[in-house]
Amino acid sequence: MSDQGPPTGSAPTPQAPLGSDPEAYAPSVAGQLAFYQRAGGIITPLLTAVVAFLAGGLVVLATGHNPLRTYKAIFEGAGLNWFFHFGSYHIDLPFTNHHIWFWWDTNTNHTAAYNLTQTLLTTTPLILTGLAVAFAFRCGLFNIGGQGQYLVGAIVGVYVGSRFTDMAHLPHVIFGLTAAALAGALWGSIAGFLKATVGAHEVITTIMLNWIAYWGGSYLFGRGGPLQNHVNKAVPISDDVAPGAKLAAIWGNPHLQALHSGIFVALGALVVFYIILNRTTLGYEVRAVGFNPEAARYGGISVARNFIIAMAISGLFAGLAGGLDILGWQFRLGVLDVQVSNIGFIGIAVALLGRNTAVGVGFAALLFGALLTGTSTRSLDPNIFPPQLAGNLALMIQALVLLFVGADLLILYIWQARKKVRMPGLSRAADEAA
Amino acid sequence: MDEPPVLELRGITKQFPGVLANDHIDFDLRRGEVHALLGENGAGKSTLMSILYGLYTADSGQILLNGKPVSITSPKHAIELGIGMVHQHFMLIPVMTVTENIVLANEPVHLGVLLDESAAEKRVADVAKTFSFAVDPHARIQDITVGQQQRVEILKALYRNADIVILDEPTAVLTPQEAAELFEILRTLTREGISIIFITHKLNEVLEIADRITVLRRGKKVETIPREGATEAALARAMVGREVLLRVDKKAGQPGELLLKVEDLSVQDDRGLEAVRGVTFDVRAGEIVGIAGVDGNGQSELIDALTGLRNVAGGRISVGGQDLTHASARQALDAGMGHIPEDRQRRGLVLDFNLAENLALHDYDKEPFSRFGWLNPRRWLQWAGGLLKEFDVRGGGPTTRGASLSGGNQQKVVIAREVSRDPSVLVAAQPTRGLDVGAIEFVHRRLVEQRDAGKAVLLVSLELEEILSLSDRILVLYEGRIVAELPPDASEEEVGIAMTGARREVAV
Amino acid sequence: MSAMEYAARVREKWSGNVIIARAGLALGLFAFVVALPPFDAPVWVPVFVGFLAFAAGIWVLSRGMRRPGWTAIGFGIVGIGLGVLATRASSSNIDQVVVWSALLSATLVWATPLTYAAIGGLFCERSGIVNIGLEGMMLAGAFFAALGADKFGNWEMGLVCAAAAGAGFAAVHAVMCINLRADQVVSGFAINFLALGLTGYFFIDIYGENGTPGDLPRIPDVNINFLGSVFGHLNLMIWVSFALLIVAHITLFHTPVGLRIRSVGEHPRAADTVGISVYGTRYAAVILSGILAALGGAYLSIGYLGSFSENMTAGRGYIALAAVIFGNWRPFGAFAAALLFGGSTALSFRLQQPWPAPSVLFQALPYVLTLIAVAGVIGRSVPPAAAGRPYVKQ
Repeated sequence: MSDQGPPTGSAPTPQAPLGSDPEAYAPSVAGQLAFYQRAGGIITPLLTAVVAFLAGGLVVLATGHNPLRTYKAIFEGAGLNWFFHFGSYHIDLPFTNHHIWFWWDTNTNHTAAYNLTQTLLTTTPLILTGLAVAFAFRCGLFNIGGQGQYLVGAIVGVYVGSRFTDMAHLPHVIFGLTAAALAGALWGSIAGFLKATVGAHEVITTIMLNWIAYWGGSYLFGRGGPLQNHVNKAVPISDDVAPGAKLAAIWGNPHLQALHSGIFVALGALVVFYIILNRTTLGYEVRAVGFNPEAARYGGISVARNFIIAMAISGLFAGLAGGLDILGWQFRLGVLDVQVSNIGFIGIAVALLGRNTAVGVGFAALLFGALLTGTSTRSLDPNIFPPQLAGNLALMIQALVLLFVGADLLILYIWQARKKVRMPGLSRAADEAA
Repeated sequence: MDEPPVLELRGITKQFPGVLANDHIDFDLRRGEVHALLGENGAGKSTLMSILYGLYTADSGQILLNGKPVSITSPKHAIELGIGMVHQHFMLIPVMTVTENIVLANEPVHLGVLLDESAAEKRVADVAKTFSFAVDPHARIQDITVGQQQRVEILKALYRNADIVILDEPTAVLTPQEAAELFEILRTLTREGISIIFITHKLNEVLEIADRITVLRRGKKVETIPREGATEAALARAMVGREVLLRVDKKAGQPGELLLKVEDLSVQDDRGLEAVRGVTFDVRAGEIVGIAGVDGNGQSELIDALTGLRNVAGGRISVGGQDLTHASARQALDAGMGHIPEDRQRRGLVLDFNLAENLALHDYDKEPFSRFGWLNPRRWLQWAGGLLKEFDVRGGGPTTRGASLSGGNQQKVVIAREVSRDPSVLVAAQPTRGLDVGAIEFVHRRLVEQRDAGKAVLLVSLELEEILSLSDRILVLYEGRIVAELPPDASEEEVGIAMTGARREVAV
Repeated sequence: MSAMEYAARVREKWSGNVIIARAGLALGLFAFVVALPPFDAPVWVPVFVGFLAFAAGIWVLSRGMRRPGWTAIGFGIVGIGLGVLATRASSSNIDQVVVWSALLSATLVWATPLTYAAIGGLFCERSGIVNIGLEGMMLAGAFFAALGADKFGNWEMGLVCAAAAGAGFAAVHAVMCINLRADQVVSGFAINFLALGLTGYFFIDIYGENGTPGDLPRIPDVNINFLGSVFGHLNLMIWVSFALLIVAHITLFHTPVGLRIRSVGEHPRAADTVGISVYGTRYAAVILSGILAALGGAYLSIGYLGSFSENMTAGRGYIALAAVIFGNWRPFGAFAAALLFGGSTALSFRLQQPWPAPSVLFQALPYVLTLIAVAGVIGRSVPPAAAGRPYVKQ
């Protein structure tokens, strides 16, 4: 069927792809992603991950290293082996001098426990950046701007955290996190607004916004920049976050990068995501627009308004991730940090692997957090596999996940087609019989 | 004529899932004739021509060109064999020029690689002159009128030396003057020995231009007759047939107060042209008003305007006294408009939602479905379950996905939703499209029920039988205007003729 | 009135491109004015404003308005020139920044990788496939050029290896998008990650701590002394890019091949019905874009810098994509945009010393401009009509 509007005048409207109306450039993935959410339950994402790891293993093999030992080293580097070591240990109860018996060794002076804290530390922002992408996807929007929204959140977070030093601890923390989240929301809503009003495709606008945030951050904290620290003018870094604004450490030694309470915020965000989408009218509207914007319009739902709101919420999650990282363990933001950071991008893989659901994002974030930590220079045993190589291996595995996610859509597509489920494009023949 | 036919189709059969599009159709085309292929929507005309043009392969049957059997595998092959097609949806590239569109894939080259633009223009001009066309070779397709675009489509075929030109509903997009110009062109073509197949469902045109007429109905050929002696009435009868009418048992309507009032309504279509031109009518409580007409005469735009999905260029709409002319979809729904959309899968349902969610599509933000933005799933499911049972929806329960249901049950869900909202005006657009007899009966019964419950029902349908059996009053929409108002006992031919543009004075 | 209706009204009333053209003229004038008292702005301000004037001019030119476009560019040049002269009278830092010949050469250098990638990207998009993966293809080209030049001992083989690598990545993208009908953006992104990981991995594995050898065979400069300091010592690749530009333009707009590519990108079904192979055309365009982007990357590693480092493309592929959009999917437009963006980068490096903050501003300029462009509130940006939609053969 013709893709444009050549003058028809008559005949039922040809089957246009299921996408949102201002479809100027590269249609949104709403129609395909509707598939996603039913996609073979947990099997397909699991399979995708397994295949990606297998392919990564092949690369390892091809370059003369032992894939099994490498993966084992990564596994241990991520601290996942911690779960497998049982014994008789104890946990100190906070605010008291007592302790209770626990079967895992929580002493972070030991490697496994420490590695696990680092994994969880990475998982925290990944959950949120994954949720950011997932929420937008549920509304049929492709938010690639998680990175920019994260940066904006981090920038605002470090600003609030380093100023207002006479605020009490809890209000200061809440203020910082809220400001970070709102900053991310604002950044995201720019793309949403442009899509809603003029139909600018969100992929392009969010990519541009990412880079604008990147350079904005480089400017702000660079030498001579307005937010550069007041202590050492030679270093392009921000002021430190005030001690009163730092998130409490819950596991580990705060001087050695402990796991902070932010993980509860992240887990809470998973719940909030689920609730918003499935239990509120807003979520209903967002899902309707994501599945079928035309039917949503017929139901009286404002597609444009939902675009803006979805991108704002999406940015909110990513901005919050930035805030949590800053107030949780980074405590300062430098130009180098801004330029090297890619948590927002990994969030895309997290969301896609996690099928845009809360549970999926949670597990996918853990997987990628483990992968990143396990391949970091600090955790990986260099005798088994050079960590710099491992970092790139992690990147490749992520890429393969993305690729296979894209391909398995088709497998499902074909599978569903054979089950005679009616999908756009497939039954066109029957329509044209008229 | 002693010459063998230029084209012969013997026993062409084509089956699609659930639909026998062509059932052993015989067809032949003589050199230099205009042969009209007549039939309603769904009769199988487009399928037959798509087979001829290589877009589909027939399941059985034979195609003979100039007496020799051929197997047409692709449009490219068809073009090589001298068959050209002017599609209903033009295959033209809007941003490119006339010349570029015509010579695409058959470009004259200069020095082996460069496009020889002047040669291309010259060739296009030559072909145009041979057939006495006027086209501006430099104009972009998006800047020329529809009539001119169509001429470009025809030129595309002629440029490739087509002997046979198939025109698929060519006048569907033309104004009467442009149609007249088209007919002149067709006459010139036939004088030059080109044979034309003219697909249409407009009776008056057929009688004007065709030499012979073949009528198709529901996949079968009804008859082939020469133009001499053919009458509109006879053709209409052949097209529509004496099928068993699904007459619903209903008592006479008792129209009450005025619920829907439409005054001098004008609505533009997506191209900015007037699709609804100054339409005025009312619908009272307790009556079903049926709007009959061939697709594309403004029905979709009218419905969109009534339900708040399209802007109104002029005129007024009021429901129960409330002015809804510039209302949004939500406002129209809240004001008592119910809408059964014509495409249940694209517009009526969110297929990936479950039935409970679909049933709440309009009112999800109100009690009892939600409060202060918070959904109440338990109450929702309960209510949905009850509704599904009441409307006898089979194939699943409240938590079943919409896509899992059959077409008929999906439509039941849509109707259940609309009816349960208790609207004062119910607009039903093609409510039984694609449904089996049982589902159709169900829908009809429900519509009558609504009427008897005192609602105003506006039924817009392309199925004449449906209109005749359900309506208390029949309005015929043609080219954006109400051209006739007929009583429910009007004959099919009367309505059919009005639908196809021939004006008849009919006293109401 | 909804926001959309408002935007439409604005668009109607203010025939967008004319506004931009006039804005370009005004900006050019302003560039000069702002260097005078009472503004007395430092030199980077007139340059910045002049840049905006250039941008406006290029935008308008790419959309077919010749005279206003060139006028805006002209005003921009004049504005910058006069502004710099005026500032020179009152400041001493200028000479560091505004060494015109060095600036021009630097512009060409930074623009060239963009030009290659942009032209490749534009062919790809013109055929209907969105290519976000230009960054990855460029990076792959950079690495494999260095690797090939090193292992085979000459730069020609380096280029061949780069082209092969680019074609390889592009082939993956093509299969994903054309046959598997995957989402083109996801696929492009995956390519970027894959290239980043693959090149980093093999770079460390093969070259380890020391990096690529210092005597890596380089693509030679072309020495034509009489052409002066700017054009007299340009790298071969830069000259080739000029030729590429002209060939691309002629091919796209004056050959049957170009006509068919464009038809496939605008209305694939129409092209299909006249017998053009949609899949085949798209495959060719995607692979071409991979080769060209890779050559752009190769210029970076063995043409200009003489080495490879991890992630050396640092986002240039995205700027190339921006150049395609800004240049309205036309070779000369994309080239002009590449010059603009390349010049922006060159300027930012020169400005780093005296003015670190504004230098970053110039780095961000390409993205800001493209954002405004895509927003399309003033003056539309119309991509090939079928870009991004998978084509389903009947």
